[in-house]
Amino acid sequence: MATRAEFLERIRREARRTDGLFTAATATRPARPEEAAEAVRRQMAERWPEALDLFRREFDRVGGVFHRAADPAEVPSVVLEIAREEGATAVVAWDPPVLGLDLRPRLVAEGLAVAVAASDPADETARRRHREESARAQIGVTGADLVLAETGTLILLSGRGRPRSTSLLPDTHVAVFDRSRLVESLAQVGILLEALHVDPARSMSGAMINFITGPSRTADIELTLTRGVHGPKHVHAIFVAAP
Amino acid sequence: MSEGLLNVPFSERAGAALGDRFLQEALTIATTKFIDLRKDSFAGFPEGDALRDQARSIKEATLQKLDVYLGQLADNVERLGGRVHWATTGEEARETILQLCRDRGVRMAVKSKSMATEEIELNEALEKAGVTPVETDLGEYIIQLAHEKPSHIIAPAIHKTKGQVADLISEVAGRRLAADPEVLTAAARVQLREKFLQAEMGITGANFAVAETGTVVLVTNEGNGRMVTSLPRIHVAVMGIEKVIPSMTDLVVFLAILARSATGQKLSSYTTLVRGPRQPGELEGPEEFHLILMDNGRSRQIAGTLREALYCLRCGACLNVCPVYRQIGGHAYGHTYPGPIGILLTAMLRGDESVKELAHASSLCGACKDVCPVRIDIPRMLIELRERLDRQKIAPWAERFAFGTLRRVLLSPAAFRLSSALGRVLQRPFLNNGRLTGLPLVLSRWTRTRDLPPVASRTFRERWKDLQ
Amino acid sequence: MITCLGDLFFPEVGVAMVKLLRRLGVTVEFPEGQTCCGMPLFNSGYHPDAAAVAARTVDLFAGSEHVVVPSGSCAWMVKAEYPGLLAHDAGRRAAALALAARTRELSQFLVEVLGVETVASSFKGRVTYHDSCHLLRGLGESRCPRALLQGVKGVELVELPGADECCGFGGSFSVRLPEVSTAILGKKLDNVERTGADCLVACDAGCLMQMGGGLSRRRSRVRALHLAQVLAGEEKA
Repeated sequence: MATRAEFLERIRREARRTDGLFTAATATRPARPEEAAEAVRRQMAERWPEALDLFRREFDRVGGVFHRAADPAEVPSVVLEIAREEGATAVVAWDPPVLGLDLRPRLVAEGLAVAVAASDPADETARRRHREESARAQIGVTGADLVLAETGTLILLSGRGRPRSTSLLPDTHVAVFDRSRLVESLAQVGILLEALHVDPARSMSGAMINFITGPSRTADIELTLTRGVHGPKHVHAIFVAAP
Repeated sequence: MSEGLLNVPFSERAGAALGDRFLQEALTIATTKFIDLRKDSFAGFPEGDALRDQARSIKEATLQKLDVYLGQLADNVERLGGRVHWATTGEEARETILQLCRDRGVRMAVKSKSMATEEIELNEALEKAGVTPVETDLGEYIIQLAHEKPSHIIAPAIHKTKGQVADLISEVAGRRLAADPEVLTAAARVQLREKFLQAEMGITGANFAVAETGTVVLVTNEGNGRMVTSLPRIHVAVMGIEKVIPSMTDLVVFLAILARSATGQKLSSYTTLVRGPRQPGELEGPEEFHLILMDNGRSRQIAGTLREALYCLRCGACLNVCPVYRQIGGHAYGHTYPGPIGILLTAMLRGDESVKELAHASSLCGACKDVCPVRIDIPRMLIELRERLDRQKIAPWAERFAFGTLRRVLLSPAAFRLSSALGRVLQRPFLNNGRLTGLPLVLSRWTRTRDLPPVASRTFRERWKDLQ
Repeated sequence: MITCLGDLFFPEVGVAMVKLLRRLGVTVEFPEGQTCCGMPLFNSGYHPDAAAVAARTVDLFAGSEHVVVPSGSCAWMVKAEYPGLLAHDAGRRAAALALAARTRELSQFLVEVLGVETVASSFKGRVTYHDSCHLLRGLGESRCPRALLQGVKGVELVELPGADECCGFGGSFSVRLPEVSTAILGKKLDNVERTGADCLVACDAGCLMQMGGGLSRRRSRVRALHLAQVLAGEEKA
C-alpha cells in the first residue's frame, strides 16, 4: 500500500497538470466564527417567535408532533400524556442536569420505569446496562442543542450524559427545547457549526452531531412511505415557553 | 459486476429489461415520482439555482487543491483518535477491511448504504473471509436477501414487487408475512435491530468529509446510518477521495440541495456528523474509527476528460430523468453505477473499453445536465468518451468506415447530390404508400418499428430553382 | 441553412420556411454548396471530421447577414459547438464565433429578430407541440414556438404531457439501440394520442422523422408537421 506521502503526491501531480475547469471558490467562511455565532444568537433573541412559528409548520410537515409547556415543571406531564397515548411503560432520558429537568419523580409515581444516562465516565457494565435500558424503553427524552426552523430539524450533540441511542432506539423520541435553541436557516447552522469547532474539546464532549428531521422513514418497498424503519416512528417536540 | 452478465451484449440486456412488464411499470412509477418530488422541491426554492452554482464551484475549487484538503482531513481524523488508511486501489481498500476483521475478531459487519463498497464488491470478499456482511438499508437488505445488485443509486430495490419482498422477508422471519409495506418494514426493523446490537463492526460510506474538522457526514432516512456508527465497537468509513470538502460552511451549501435533488425532501431524516471514535465519557459509540481514503481510478481523472464526474453527489437525479434509464433500469447497465453518471463513473473506474457500448446508451437529450445539483455536463463527456473510443479504435471497424464515408459525402456537394440520386433509385423496392418500410442492413433497425420518409423526388436544392 | 435531413427528406419544410420568410419581407438566399452542419459526426465522436465540415460551413455562410435554420439541433451545433471545434483554426476562429452569433433557429428568428408572434396562416386544427431536446435545453427555447402556434387563429394548442421528454431519436442512437429508441418513442406517442390533437408539431427534422415514422407505423390519424408548415399554411403532400 502507498504511504500517505506517495498517495497525496500522486494527487498533487495530477492537480498540477491542469488549471482546472474554471476559476472556482470555496464558500466564504466567517472570519471570526465565535463573533458571528454571537451575532446569530442576538438576532434570534429578537426573532425567536417567528422562528417558532416556522418550526411548528415545518415540523408538522415532516410528521413531528408539537407540544407546549409553560415551564420545565410542566414537561413531565406532557411526557406522561405521550406515554399514555402510546401505551408506554418505560422511558429513557438524558442525564437530568443536561436535560434541565428530572422526569423521574412524576413518571415513576405514575408507574413508569425511567432510566437516565449517567454523566460519569462510564465503564463496561454501565455501558451494557444503558444499552439494555435504551433498547427496552418505548420513549426516549432528550434536549435539542439547536432547533432549525426552516426544515423542522432537531440538532443534537452527543456526549456526557447525552447518549446517541436515546433519540434512536425507542419507538418514540421526545425533544425538549426553549427559545434559546431556535435558529432560522441552514446558513445560520453553518455559522454555529464553525463556532462549535473552533475549540471542539471545550464545546463538545461527544463525537457525534445528529440532525433529526422527523421520524425514520423509507419508501424502498414499491415507493410506499413507511415510518420507523430503524429509528423512531414518532417524534415529538416540547417547547418550554418560560425564558 | 459478475462476468456472466457482461458477456451478454448491452442491447440484449436492454431488450430483456424492455420485455419485463413489471420492471417497466415500476420504473415509470418510481422515476415519475422522484421527478415530481424534485421539481416541486426546487419550485419552492428560488435560492436553489445559485446554490447549485456555488456547490459546483466548491467541488471544482476543492479538486484544485485536493491533496491539501485530504491531508488536512487525515490530520484531523488522527487527532481525534481515528486511523486513516490510504487505499490506491479497490483491492487495497478491501484488504484493509479484511485485515481489520481478522485482527479484531469481527464475525459480523452491519453496513449502511455505500456505493463505494458496492464498487469494490466488499460483501463478496467479506463472505469469502468468513465475515457476515449485513446490509441494513431496507432496499439494500432486500436485494441482499435476493442475491441481487442494486438497480438505482438511492432506491436499490425499486425493481422488486411487494410480493417478492414479502417472500424474502418471510423466509428470514420463519413465517408467512403479508405483502404489506408496513408489516414488512416492521419485520425488517426487528430482524435488523438484532444485528445492529450484535455486530462487531459497522461499515459506512461517506457523503462528505469535512477537512477542517475531521468530520465524516452521512445523509440517510432510515436511521441505520446512526445505528451502524454508534452501536458496534468498530466503525469503518470507506470514502472516495472526491468526497472531501473544506469546511462546515461548505457543508451546509450541499446539505441545502442534496436531499431536494434525491427525494424532494428539504433535509433527509438524518444527517449524521461523525468526528472519530467515541469521546471519553460517552456511554456509546465505537472504540475505533477507521477512515479508508480510496482512489480506485479517481485521481487519474483530475487532469482527465471526466474531471467533472468527480463532483457527483450520488443523488440519483440524473437516473430519474434519463429516457434510457427510465426504460431499462439499473441492472441492464451491467455495472455498479447505472444511468448517465454511471456511464462516466464506469469509464473512470474500469477504463474506456468497459463502456464501448454504454457510451452510446444515450440520446444526448441533456435532461441529466438540467437536474444535476452540481451541474455536471454529462452529455459533453459522453461525446468526449465516444471521441476517445473512436480515436483508440475501440469502436468497430464497420462503424468507423461508415462515418468515414459520411464525412466524404458531407464535404462534397457533388457527392451529396449523387447520394440523394442513388438513394431515390435504391429505395424504390421499399416504397409502401409513400413511406419506406422493410429496409435492409443497418436501416432495418429503423424500419422494424418505424416508417421512414423516402428521399424526396425533388430535394430542396432541386426545388430552390423554382423558388428563385 | 436547410439541413441535410431537411434537404433530402423534408424539402416541403424548407419551401414552407422560404415562403413564410418572404411573406414577412425577408430576402432569402440559399448558399448552394451546403450539405450538413456536421452534428452526426460530432455526436458519435468523429471530431476532426466534424471540424472539417464545420470549416466548410463557416466559409459558405460567411457573407450571410442572418442564418435561419428550421432545426434546433443544427442551430445548436453551429452556436454551441462550432467555436470549440474551430478554436485551433487560426483563420476561422473569429468567423466561427461570428457565425454562431448570426445563426438562429426559425422560431427564435421570427420572434427575436423580426419581432413577429402572430402569423396569418390558413392552417386550422388541434395541435400539440413537442420540445426538441437541443432547442429546449441547448438553446433554452420553449416559449417562441408555442407563442407562434397560439398566434395562428385557426390553431387550438393543446399542451403535450411530457412535452420536454426526449422522443428517442438521438441521431445514430435510433439505430444503435433501436429497441430502446422505440420504447421511448412509444411513451411519447401514447402521450400525443391522448391529447386528441390532429397534428403534432416540432422544430427538428430528426424528431419529426422519429415521431412521424412511429405515428405512420401505428396508422395514427395524427400527422407530424414542422412549425414552418403550420405557419406557412401548407400541409405535407
